[in-house]
Amino acid sequence: MAKKVVSNVKLGVFVLAGLLFLVILLYMIGKNRNLFGSNYVLKARFENIQGLVTGNNVRFSGIQAGTVKRIDIINDTLIEVTMVIDKKMSKIIHKNAVASISTEGLVGNKVVNISPSKIPDALAKDDDILPVKKAVNTDEIMETLYNTNSDVAIIAAGLRTTVERINKSSALWNLLNDESIPENIRISFASIRSTTGKAVKIADDLDKIILGVKNGEGSLGAILKDTSLVKNLNDAILTINKVGNEADSVTVEINKLVKGVHEDVSQGKGTVNALLKDSMMVKKIEASLDNIQKGTDGFNSNMEALKHNFLFRGYFRKLEKQKKKAQ
Amino acid sequence: MLTTASHKKVLHQLNRSFLNEVGGLSRFAGRFFNQAFRPRYEIAEFIRQCFVIGYKSLPLIGLTSFILGLVLTMQLRPSMVSYGVESQLPAIVGIAVIREIGPVITALIFAGKIGSSIGAELGSMRVTEQIDAMEVSGTNPFKYLVVTRVLAATLMLPILVLLGDAISLFGSWIGINIRGATSFHLYWTQVFDNLAFTDVLPAFFKSFFFGFAVGIIGCFKGYNSSKGTEGVGISANSAVVVSSIVIFILDLLAVQVTDALGLN
Repeated sequence: MAKKVVSNVKLGVFVLAGLLFLVILLYMIGKNRNLFGSNYVLKARFENIQGLVTGNNVRFSGIQAGTVKRIDIINDTLIEVTMVIDKKMSKIIHKNAVASISTEGLVGNKVVNISPSKIPDALAKDDDILPVKKAVNTDEIMETLYNTNSDVAIIAAGLRTTVERINKSSALWNLLNDESIPENIRISFASIRSTTGKAVKIADDLDKIILGVKNGEGSLGAILKDTSLVKNLNDAILTINKVGNEADSVTVEINKLVKGVHEDVSQGKGTVNALLKDSMMVKKIEASLDNIQKGTDGFNSNMEALKHNFLFRGYFRKLEKQKKKAQ
Repeated sequence: MLTTASHKKVLHQLNRSFLNEVGGLSRFAGRFFNQAFRPRYEIAEFIRQCFVIGYKSLPLIGLTSFILGLVLTMQLRPSMVSYGVESQLPAIVGIAVIREIGPVITALIFAGKIGSSIGAELGSMRVTEQIDAMEVSGTNPFKYLVVTRVLAATLMLPILVLLGDAISLFGSWIGINIRGATSFHLYWTQVFDNLAFTDVLPAFFKSFFFGFAVGIIGCFKGYNSSKGTEGVGISANSAVVVSSIVIFILDLLAVQVTDALGLN
């Protein structure tokens, strides 16, 4: 009896294990086909679906988003593809997301790729029709390849001509065969290196100067940085302006005076005219000056006589003593 | 050298023998359906047969399935590498095992083990007149011996196919990792990603027919055994041969039906 129970348990485990694998298998396939969970439907209309069939995958930016549910021919140039999309994607796929048909790998199944637009529109709702992008088919690729090949042939012909000309150019070959060129180039590079070193040093010096100026060092720095200097300069300029204005008025006055003198001289009037033009006046002045000289000489003789007089001798001696003390 | 007349005679005998077999098997199957759904049900014997036919076949089926998955993967690998589609190996092996190789190979091994076992067991019971004794004692030998075995074979083979598929795919994962490096999770994701209900369900349903064929042919050959102990050997042998051929014929029919239904 116990053996029978053990056998039954073993049989039960065996059957359940088999059924469990079947359930897992069906669940995983169903999950991949969006049979479980909530879905919504999006549509896209293509001119050519390139062998897409129901059940093919739909990807959004490479992520599995759903499957192709139905393919209907609308008219002779338009085929509508109905896609079952996972409800989770409804928060991501916008109305202006672009659907296109491509191939998984080089020889894989067809797949609908939904790519997001750079400027998102409103979110796509159930039964919305997405815009499509025409997929590149093999014929178009071959045609492009043919055009590219033609261009490559033209470029190759041009290159061939260029190479032939280079080969025929004796000047170029002489240049290439000149063994002194590498040495000259080496020397030139050494010079360039030396010059560059100097330029770097100059730049460093300039940098230091500019830094000093920035910090307000030196005359230029003081000019650029010292705000009181600017004020002083302003004041000085204002003073100069004032002086200039006064000088202008003085000049006007002098001009008037000179003009008056000039008029007096030209009309033979006034003291200046007498000084400049009257010869008698000059003689009289000379005679007067001569008399003054003579008078002064006489006065000096009288003063000397007074110093030696006994009445004033004491006074003059007293003055000399005070003078010596002061020294 | 055979004359035209003797040639015709041999062909006539062969046809007669073949048609006789087909007719006898059909009558036997009809009797099974007639008896299977009528009380009294031999539940205990049915469960015992399920244990013997199903559970005890698992080690053999498991071992062969594991080796099959491993070898298939290693044999496919060079071709896949040369085409640069090595990454598709789990998908291809998964589809091949689930759709075709798993059910057919499991059914063939099942026919070898269970078909011969049933044929020999019932044949020996027939030649030793145990079946006659059961009839005399009032037990319905057909219900007790045939119905339980055929039902057990019909129901256990799909379970064995499912477990064999799982073990085979595990063997394939080992085979992939002998040369490459694919994680267990990635392997199963790739297998399931490329499977559809149309891959699993037709294969699952046809395995019921394979099980039924193995059970009914084994029982038919054993139940109608004759010629003493020699007949037991013939019954066991012919049960395996005929079951194997019928499995392939049923497989051919299954693929035609699924194709016609648009499930391929």
